[in-house]
Amino acid sequence: MAPSLLYNPTKLPPSAALQLAQQAPRVLQGSPSSSETVDQWATYENLLLACLRTGDDEAAAKCMDRLEARFGADNERVMALRGLLSEAQAQGNRELEAVLKQYDAILEGNSTNIPITKRRIALLRSMGRVSDAASALVQLLDFSPTDAEAWSELSDLYFTQGLYSQAIYALEEVLLLSPNAWNIHARLGELQYMAATTSGNGGGSQPRYLAEALKRFARSIELCDDYLRGYYGLKLVTTSLLKEQAKQAKQTDDGEFTLPDSKTIERLDELATAKLSEIVRHSTLKDRGWRGYDEREVAAARELLSQNGIER
Amino acid sequence: MAQVPVQTIHRDPQLFCWILFPITIVMILTGVLRHYASVLMQSAPKKLDQKTIREQRSLLHGINVRGNFHALSKKSFATRRDALVTAFESGAYLKDPERAGQGQPNPLSDPSSMEGMMGMMKNQMAMIIPNTLIMSWINAFFSGYVIMKLPFPLTIKFKSMLQAGVMTKDMDPRWMSSISWYFLCIFGLQSVFNFLLGSDNAASQMAQQMGGMGAAPGAQMFGPGVDPDKQFKAEAENLAVIEHYSVLDDVEARLLAGIAV
Repeated sequence: MAPSLLYNPTKLPPSAALQLAQQAPRVLQGSPSSSETVDQWATYENLLLACLRTGDDEAAAKCMDRLEARFGADNERVMALRGLLSEAQAQGNRELEAVLKQYDAILEGNSTNIPITKRRIALLRSMGRVSDAASALVQLLDFSPTDAEAWSELSDLYFTQGLYSQAIYALEEVLLLSPNAWNIHARLGELQYMAATTSGNGGGSQPRYLAEALKRFARSIELCDDYLRGYYGLKLVTTSLLKEQAKQAKQTDDGEFTLPDSKTIERLDELATAKLSEIVRHSTLKDRGWRGYDEREVAAARELLSQNGIER
Repeated sequence: MAQVPVQTIHRDPQLFCWILFPITIVMILTGVLRHYASVLMQSAPKKLDQKTIREQRSLLHGINVRGNFHALSKKSFATRRDALVTAFESGAYLKDPERAGQGQPNPLSDPSSMEGMMGMMKNQMAMIIPNTLIMSWINAFFSGYVIMKLPFPLTIKFKSMLQAGVMTKDMDPRWMSSISWYFLCIFGLQSVFNFLLGSDNAASQMAQQMGGMGAAPGAQMFGPGVDPDKQFKAEAENLAVIEHYSVLDDVEARLLAGIAV
């Protein structure tokens, strides 16, 4: 599917972004006042983002001017976009500091300006002040605990710092807001798997994490039965579980998830292997209906399968 | 059986030009005007301060936890439940904790709620005033006329609806008086306004009435006169009685039973 300026997917590959940004002259040719439509402003906003990504600051500034002329400079969303633009144009750390000061000044006047708060957090993070960003996020989430975007950002922040249990907590909050998001289920499984396999973690909690990771991946597949990351994670967990079966300790039932018996794990392992190899085979051949997968993810799956083939 | 003779009334052909079209055009114009008037009068939604947002969203958070607890494991749910119940019962999320337990404030004394009521009043006024004016205008100038004959037969029940203002017992219900044409316009111009002004216009009163009903539960939740402390206490109780189960229980069995490769 050709990228469209009407949608703003969170993970747009660079080539698609470039393709979008190249539409800038055509879009900016028309005069903004002629017959306003809803799509028009979404187009400007996404074009602005694409232009910033590809370094076309001039076109981005033009989009910005039009948005500002329409919605006014004191619109919260426009303010955030303006901030984004000045962040992109800033040269060096000193100017970024100035942008940060601007954000602080805006927030001083209006502490509920959520778009600017988020920009400030993102800026703090990109300047490397991760713990500041985390505390600002916690502050934001204190007065707005129903913000899934902020929770997942917080989870990612904690994850980069290696604080797995905090990251898991934050991601569980995202799940509370959208309980059927299979990607979040799989991501939570990934976090739990990483928490389980990271050395230095107390040995007591490891089977607990693995058990929940297994169930998270299973749930994610149950919700979306073609989800590559879900199968990949399931395969990883079952492999490590089957390997360590010998030293599995007897589990106590204290409200935790318990591991299923080894037969079930084996069957899950078979299921994941079969499905993964099916996905890999079909998307290598570029069959109809199997094209949506990310190439790198498919390559990783292929690697995982071949590793397992050697081990056996 | 003798056929009922077809009633014929000789009408001045000018009736069409001078009554039917004027009423229709006036109705459409007032609808358009009302739309723009209400757009102009619309006050921007009031900015909530941080504490109010915190109060409302914390309550929503609690409701979310109650609704989607099955996505969590038992332990993480228990942690959240304990924290939330403690905080809700102690009033930690309230806008002004010292006012907790004083009962609900008088909604009329709160300036922010007054504003909401004024907005509602304005909307009502924008609907009532033009309707009254047009109705009295029609009554004064055009009452008592029969202006057209509908091209399809109707039963006698429609007489009171279509012949308002014409006191003739035996007339066929297909004949229509001017005031009835006005009522038909009120209810029938909805699609015309949709075409002229877009689907979310303020001209159609049907939509307004429906909207009033639809918005009521949402407004009620944080509306004036509702004591947030009581809401929090009720929510804490709801949370405390949840019997936890997880969607992750037996998920492997479901998966193995459901997916065939």
